[in-house]
Amino acid sequence: MVRFVLSRALKAVLTVWIAITSTFFLLRLLPGDPTTLMVEGDMTPEMQAALLKTYGLDRPLWEQYVSYLRELLQGNLGISFRQIQPVTDIILDRLPWTLLLAGTAFVLTVAVGIPIGVTAAVHRGKLMDRLLQGFGISANALFVPSVAILLLVFFGAQLGWFPIGGAIDPDSRGAAAYLSLAHHLVLPVLSLVLVQLGPYALTLRTNMIEVLGEDYIRAAQARGLSARRRVWKHGLRNAILPALTLMGLQLGTLVGGAVLTETVFAYPGVGRLIYEAVGQQDYPVIQGAFIMLAVTVVVANALTDMLYAVLNPRIRL
Amino acid sequence: MNKTVKGRWRLAVALGVAATLGVSGCGLNEDNGSSGGSSAGASVLRIGTTTDVSNFNPLQSLSKTDSWVLNAMYPHLLRIDENNKKAPELAKEYRYEDDGRTAVFVLRDDFKWSDGKPVVAEDVKFSAEMIMKYKLGNVAAKLTWVDSIEAPDATTVKFKLSQPYAPFAEGVGFWMSIVPKHVFESAGDLSKFPNDSNWVGAGPFVLDSMTKGQRYVMKRNEHYPLAPGGKAAVSQVEYRVYPDVNTMMLALRNGDIDMMGTPVPVSAAKTFENDSKIKLEKVGALGFAHLTYNMNNKHLAKQEVRQALSMSVDTKAIISSVLQGDGQQMAGPISPIFADYDNTEIQPYAYDPEGAKAKLDAAGYKDADNDGFFDGLTIGVACDQSNANITRVVQLFRESAAKAGIKLENECVERNTFLTRTKNGEYDIDATQWGVFDNPMDQLRSTYLSSNPGGINYNLLKSDEMDKLIDDAAGTTDPEAFKAKIRNIDKVVHEQAYLTPLYVENFRFAYNASRFTGFVASPSDLLGMVTAYSLAQVTPVK
Repeated sequence: MVRFVLSRALKAVLTVWIAITSTFFLLRLLPGDPTTLMVEGDMTPEMQAALLKTYGLDRPLWEQYVSYLRELLQGNLGISFRQIQPVTDIILDRLPWTLLLAGTAFVLTVAVGIPIGVTAAVHRGKLMDRLLQGFGISANALFVPSVAILLLVFFGAQLGWFPIGGAIDPDSRGAAAYLSLAHHLVLPVLSLVLVQLGPYALTLRTNMIEVLGEDYIRAAQARGLSARRRVWKHGLRNAILPALTLMGLQLGTLVGGAVLTETVFAYPGVGRLIYEAVGQQDYPVIQGAFIMLAVTVVVANALTDMLYAVLNPRIRL
Repeated sequence: MNKTVKGRWRLAVALGVAATLGVSGCGLNEDNGSSGGSSAGASVLRIGTTTDVSNFNPLQSLSKTDSWVLNAMYPHLLRIDENNKKAPELAKEYRYEDDGRTAVFVLRDDFKWSDGKPVVAEDVKFSAEMIMKYKLGNVAAKLTWVDSIEAPDATTVKFKLSQPYAPFAEGVGFWMSIVPKHVFESAGDLSKFPNDSNWVGAGPFVLDSMTKGQRYVMKRNEHYPLAPGGKAAVSQVEYRVYPDVNTMMLALRNGDIDMMGTPVPVSAAKTFENDSKIKLEKVGALGFAHLTYNMNNKHLAKQEVRQALSMSVDTKAIISSVLQGDGQQMAGPISPIFADYDNTEIQPYAYDPEGAKAKLDAAGYKDADNDGFFDGLTIGVACDQSNANITRVVQLFRESAAKAGIKLENECVERNTFLTRTKNGEYDIDATQWGVFDNPMDQLRSTYLSSNPGGINYNLLKSDEMDKLIDDAAGTTDPEAFKAKIRNIDKVVHEQAYLTPLYVENFRFAYNASRFTGFVASPSDLLGMVTAYSLAQVTPVK
């Protein structure tokens, strides 16, 4: 088990390094530089050169890379070109919001997806199953911003049930602040869950149908175990294994979806930070945010692998 | 066993909820020790902005949305009024001495910083010297002519210039923010000074607190002499961040904000038509859309080809289709918004495909293969594809030019790539929109001087004649002679057809007229309705 954990950890470190390196070089391969997008005119070549020097972009690429890695190893993500603040502070300011949004959406997708997938599998071919399949296939075609703006128009503007954008009423205090937080969270989470739920429940349904046909389920039935016990204890434990992998992968999609969701809902998370930083070619912020996302996804996948190993001893061999 | 599993689930869910709320809890407090305050009170004006303030240092920031917040806080010597003319702000007047080699600003004596200290000439001198020393922002280029700055008394500032430059005072007066010397001088290197807390300003409002990603709260400065009654009627201004303009429009309709800082897109203006509360204020632009011809292209170097292209653009149809009729035609490079400088004797090239064909025939171009296009005359039109209006212009231009036998290739690309190609001169025709030119002289210098001082001579023009005309006008301090020289350059550029101006668009700013009134709009989307002067005039509707 120790060897298994070590090997997974090593792979995770390697993946993060590849993510860091590719982000670093891809950003610099983009046309232009951070001065390109600054206001038109009235910036002489000398001023541009001075700015590039301030940003350290006048040095050879390899030198920038080595210096960046050195700083990174000391936990320093650099200083934002535009905000003149440490990137770590900027990201930490936004991270809790994305964790709250993506985390809630993730938990809800799993919590709602499992019973739906299992129920559809148990009632295979019946109305409930057909409805799920219809929804799952349609959900695959949903585009997060379209869903988000529809929800905003209907539940926010027409019915007035939810606020138009933002994460909290900044004037609320104490318990009211938490209520406001939850109130603002509903529509962004709903957008993400609606898009994620279908594929997740469908995968679980397919696995469950396969598992329910296995000999040991029939044996459990012969032993007189109740249908509920057969399905939820024996069936789900095995059907959920492939779905676990999907959960790990979905975390990456969720964070990607958060970029769009946070932009439409004016939600102050890391996704929106990336959106703004890309528009300004603020390399340190983009790099920092991508590293943070890469680490999140890699750690989530490593944990999924380990959880998988705990649930299924065969893969440790 | 079942009970244990259920127990674990409950524990996990409880831990998850506690963790998420706990983690998010750290973002529940505003920075800079907010004193809070009712956000929807009668005299709290809530304005939608599209992005966070990226740099609070007004000497350095280059962002339009930053300037909305910073302009309300840091005064400028001059402002642009609703008639597109420079008007006094901190400076009550300006003049030139020594045959134009000294620009003198005389300041008002009743502006005060929010910490109670008076705004004095030393603050102006310090602001300009720091910009020159650290080459900060876009004002550094406007101070190129400055040899030295003097502040002989508390209300007089003298800029000694290396040579006369007619619009020096207008340019510097409008663009340069004045910062408090007694606060900024202790910051050391101002190129590294974020100025992100404990703000001291002398505008009608001063930043008090912020929740990054959400809102910026500005409290009223109790001493603002340009407001009726000596201080703004609105007690608090809040900027709320909505990156998506559709969401911002919904927020305005829903009453979550009182006005949009950003203009309403032409296509969306109708959504407010049936809303009696929402009023749209229309203002002109300080820039314009244009087609600029690269003189390094062998075809475009010929005056006849440029004129033929100008005759192949149906600007009226473009204004009707792209702007739904809400824009002005232009003849030369000087926008009609600068009425004193616009040469009204020249007329836009009329849309005349047959006339364009005849011109190209006369220039020796042939259509030997009878495919309807002049042989070898294929020209690319580059544009930023994120600009929907310009992308549509290029489509219409291609269609109309084809009728004149000119084959155009659409080379609209992603914004970064476009700007990089533009910077490197890698285009034939550059279809784009100038942002803000506050005066025609700066515009002409930036766009036509061979030395390309602003980096936006997109013609890549190297003409001794134009250099002479521009330099001569720039050094003319007599106002009437200066205007006449600008009008002449307008005519020369038109005849040469260095560019085909397309339109000056109008911007629409939306606000909730049932809650606030009294906005004073200034031209362009740079500041629009949210200038310091405008915010100081706003009153709540009773």
